[in-house]
Amino acid sequence: MAAPIAGAALGNELRAGTVAKVGSTKRVQELNGMLHSNRPNVDITRARAYTKVYRETEGMPDLMRRYKASAEVYRTLSDNVYDYEQLVGWPTKRIRGANFAIELHAHWLAEDLPNLRDRTYDPFEITDEDYRELEEDLLPYWKDKTMAVQWGHYVTKEEWDRAQFGGVSDVSNYLCANGSHFIPAWTEVIQYGFVKYYEEAKALLAALDPNDPTSIDKRIFYSGIIEVLEAIRGWGERLSAACTRKAQAEKDPVRRKELEDMAAMMQRVPWGPATSFHDACETAWAVCFFLFVEGAGPSITWSRFDQYMYPYYKADIEKGILTPEKAMELIEEMYIKVTSNVWFQSTQMAYIFGGYYRYPHLDVGGLDENGKDATNELSYLCLRAMRYVKTTSPAVSIMLHQKTPDALLYEACELAAEGMGHPSFFNCESLYSMLEHRAGGLHGYSNYTRKDILKFGSPIGCVEPGAEGLQYGHTDSGIINVAGCIFAAVTNGKKAAGVDGTLCGEVVTYESGAPDSFQTFDAFYEAVKGQVKYAIDECHANLLICEKLLAEQFNLPTFTVLLDGALERAKDATAGGAKVNIGPTMQMVGFGTMVDSVAAIKKVVFEDHEATLSQVADACMKNFEGYDDLRAKLIAAPKYGNDDDFADDIAADLWKWFADCTMVLKMYRGHYCDAAIQMVQSNVGYGAMTGATPNGRLAGQPISDTMSATQQADTNGPTAAARSYGKLDFPAYTNGTLLNMWISQSELLAQ
Amino acid sequence: MEEKRALIFDIGRFRNTDGPGIRTILFFKGCPLRCQWCSNPFGLSPRRQLVVNPAKCTGCGRCAEVCSHGVNTVPEGEKVQVEFSACTLCADCVTPCLAGARMISGTAYTARELYQEAQKDAAFYRKGGGGVTISGGEALLQYEVAAETLRLCRSNYINTCLETSAFAPWEHLWAAAQYCHTVFVDLKHMDPERHKVLTGVDNALILENLQRLCRELPRRGGRVIVRLPLVPGCNDEEENLTASARFVSSLEGTPELNLLPYHDLGSSKYEMIGAEYTLDGVESRKGRDPRLLEIQALCQSCAPNTRVSLGGDAIQLSL
Repeated sequence: MAAPIAGAALGNELRAGTVAKVGSTKRVQELNGMLHSNRPNVDITRARAYTKVYRETEGMPDLMRRYKASAEVYRTLSDNVYDYEQLVGWPTKRIRGANFAIELHAHWLAEDLPNLRDRTYDPFEITDEDYRELEEDLLPYWKDKTMAVQWGHYVTKEEWDRAQFGGVSDVSNYLCANGSHFIPAWTEVIQYGFVKYYEEAKALLAALDPNDPTSIDKRIFYSGIIEVLEAIRGWGERLSAACTRKAQAEKDPVRRKELEDMAAMMQRVPWGPATSFHDACETAWAVCFFLFVEGAGPSITWSRFDQYMYPYYKADIEKGILTPEKAMELIEEMYIKVTSNVWFQSTQMAYIFGGYYRYPHLDVGGLDENGKDATNELSYLCLRAMRYVKTTSPAVSIMLHQKTPDALLYEACELAAEGMGHPSFFNCESLYSMLEHRAGGLHGYSNYTRKDILKFGSPIGCVEPGAEGLQYGHTDSGIINVAGCIFAAVTNGKKAAGVDGTLCGEVVTYESGAPDSFQTFDAFYEAVKGQVKYAIDECHANLLICEKLLAEQFNLPTFTVLLDGALERAKDATAGGAKVNIGPTMQMVGFGTMVDSVAAIKKVVFEDHEATLSQVADACMKNFEGYDDLRAKLIAAPKYGNDDDFADDIAADLWKWFADCTMVLKMYRGHYCDAAIQMVQSNVGYGAMTGATPNGRLAGQPISDTMSATQQADTNGPTAAARSYGKLDFPAYTNGTLLNMWISQSELLAQ
Repeated sequence: MEEKRALIFDIGRFRNTDGPGIRTILFFKGCPLRCQWCSNPFGLSPRRQLVVNPAKCTGCGRCAEVCSHGVNTVPEGEKVQVEFSACTLCADCVTPCLAGARMISGTAYTARELYQEAQKDAAFYRKGGGGVTISGGEALLQYEVAAETLRLCRSNYINTCLETSAFAPWEHLWAAAQYCHTVFVDLKHMDPERHKVLTGVDNALILENLQRLCRELPRRGGRVIVRLPLVPGCNDEEENLTASARFVSSLEGTPELNLLPYHDLGSSKYEMIGAEYTLDGVESRKGRDPRLLEIQALCQSCAPNTRVSLGGDAIQLSL
């Protein structure tokens, strides 16, 4: 057997632009090659549709305009069908395109368009023709109408600067990535198709009483939903016709038959019920990219794919029309297609979330609604498919619990040993506890029933807990850089001079006390906590304004129909149509850096008296120039991640503090805020905006990643680190926690 | 009376060699042997010592500034030069080194403290039958603490292994071995003269202890695994391999023979303590190297009833 290409080597090959044709069959290899021979590119179909509709509908109600624009997008989506495909439909004209949301991005893109093709992070290709249309026609219409611009009308210039790249309390992500983090009602939409919602909306519209004042908005709502669903039906018919045309031109009889079957399939789904595993995969793929086009954000999730797909798989196997190999081939094709959804972000955000990755997610394992192990053959196939196809998306993950079969865990470890970052490991016990308390406030409960949680609960992606068809809310929204907070705590509220972002060298939070004013560690520790709380409160105030704007103007009809009960409630997803509304949530970055900094100050300043806090403050301001001795002592202090209670006790306390400060805050739609610690990659961008920190880290260097120990600070091995992490109260972070651990391949396989 | 302490030069957590499952390995400092291929030279001296890693040194000169005994000199633009014999082990140079290139090797622990270290990872031992392994150096030089540590672990349901040269009085060996699930005994060479050249000591005591251990330990529910380090040009000649395998197969209870391929991972550690690695140029062999498989087959043919395994990570949980 030929040696498999290791994940890292493959990654380099892909980055270099060399085509990586891998997969379990020739078909998958060709499709994978096709995917990777394209560079990320911009598609303006959606931008054009929105502009056309908004120009035509000036003066109409906001919701009506949004829904009409959504429908227009479905009417104009590409109908390309390529060789080797078995699943139909693409979100863009070219593969690996981004059908971006101009109504969120126009303000920065109007200025930055000339750099888009060769900016440092996430450059995008664009044709000259589309470039001209954007520059001359589309962007001028939108550039003073985006959400971020409108948000600016509600705040002062200083507040804008703090929240947009001040680098401590940040909402920039929330205003350009809405319509995200969502698990549609997969079981239902696959079983019944969109026609179910269409009939439901028609019936509800017919039943409205015009003499009831609440019917006024409902009428606009239902009419809009119906128009969108009709456009979805039209899309299926167009794609079916495209398959037929391709079949007629096809010479190979085998492929011609395949294309004819695909044309027939597109007459059935996603509009109507799926009748086979292949149909079900088509609905799952089409719905996924509809949502990626309608929303602008990350994490449209396949969630418990092995559960809702299993009845179709089992039936087809029994009928003899499917084999496990054939099923895996379809799954691999889905992985390739979902990888094609690249994330289009502003130049500023690409700096924090660079990499095009749009965080789709697929979970296997877990429990069923009766609390039994839910593992089935598809659970294994989903993990194995990724070992063959080796795409970055979706983030395949395993939901672990006490009853997880060893064989599934070993299958997951085999995948982990490929070194691609797949799969993620989730602990059901923590996940279910998070869902029980999601958005319920401090000591409160969510609206989820136990059955909702067991049957539909899963991570969304990256790690946020959610439930199929029951929850809506953009989650990675408010960002609190606690490494910036610790810098502010020692320097009386300042941000360092000479780092990236706005307000350098100025007060960026509040003045919590000059360094020489703290006589005891406890007094200083209060200031640290005060800084964290201040940043959270400020962020919360900004998020409320964002929420109001989104509920009024950023409506999402496709998301809404795929939420259980939203049609009866006659409420758009953004306005609270879900059973459980969540977000915006508060994400912490730089946790390890903060903990190590506090531990170092406690040890060096307040216990060993080897320096004063003023000296530490001066050292941090001067990036440790002339302070090598002090820096060495700070580095030698106890560090989080080594199973050492000196640092771990501080970690556990600050961990809880962040959650407590967050969970008392009430959001615009009436629920409570959730805490999270899962911002992948952003530790580099926020590090660049943060001055030197008292753990000995130099200015501009990356801060610690997710909830992990500071880079290279955990020197006692993975078991000691795991024990440190085990001291934290995970379920308090009801929006999820993420831990990255690196274990060598030989050790993993040996275990 | 103060509890007895043993000098430990490393505590390795999450190791998968030297016993089944995930293990914590306690490395005792000090060894009566001087095997040419020793991969743990920090374990040779029974005393604390300064360790300087030249690979990490940035030549900043801060260690030279803080040392009043002139141990460290840093020529302009070069790395530090260390006069190890002048070091008084004051440790003043360790923290100031921003590159993290310096440490004092050797920390004294009581048996109870060592047990507490082992206990930390108890949750990770369960699944694969992991536990604690006492290694070195030669732990039997400090047999009282080693024995008490093993007793504490064993009586608290932690799997126990001892890795030893068996070059110690029988009473010392037995004091520790009696608490072990598994005892690894190294067999370095069958010929007494050659053994002396390669390790500095005679092999009579080792062979005698090994025979007796194979008799006694199974009665206590433990097992012996004989380990043969395969050092090219030192002990991998056919004559010695044949003799070793035959000897192992003659032992009571047919203990497993575990072949350990040579690696040179320890070679860079010698200069860190101012010593010299004399075995330079010997090639490391890994995994399923054909020469290793040949040796395994040869040993197996001489000891047909013995399980002959290859590699330190091939140890299975005993039944």
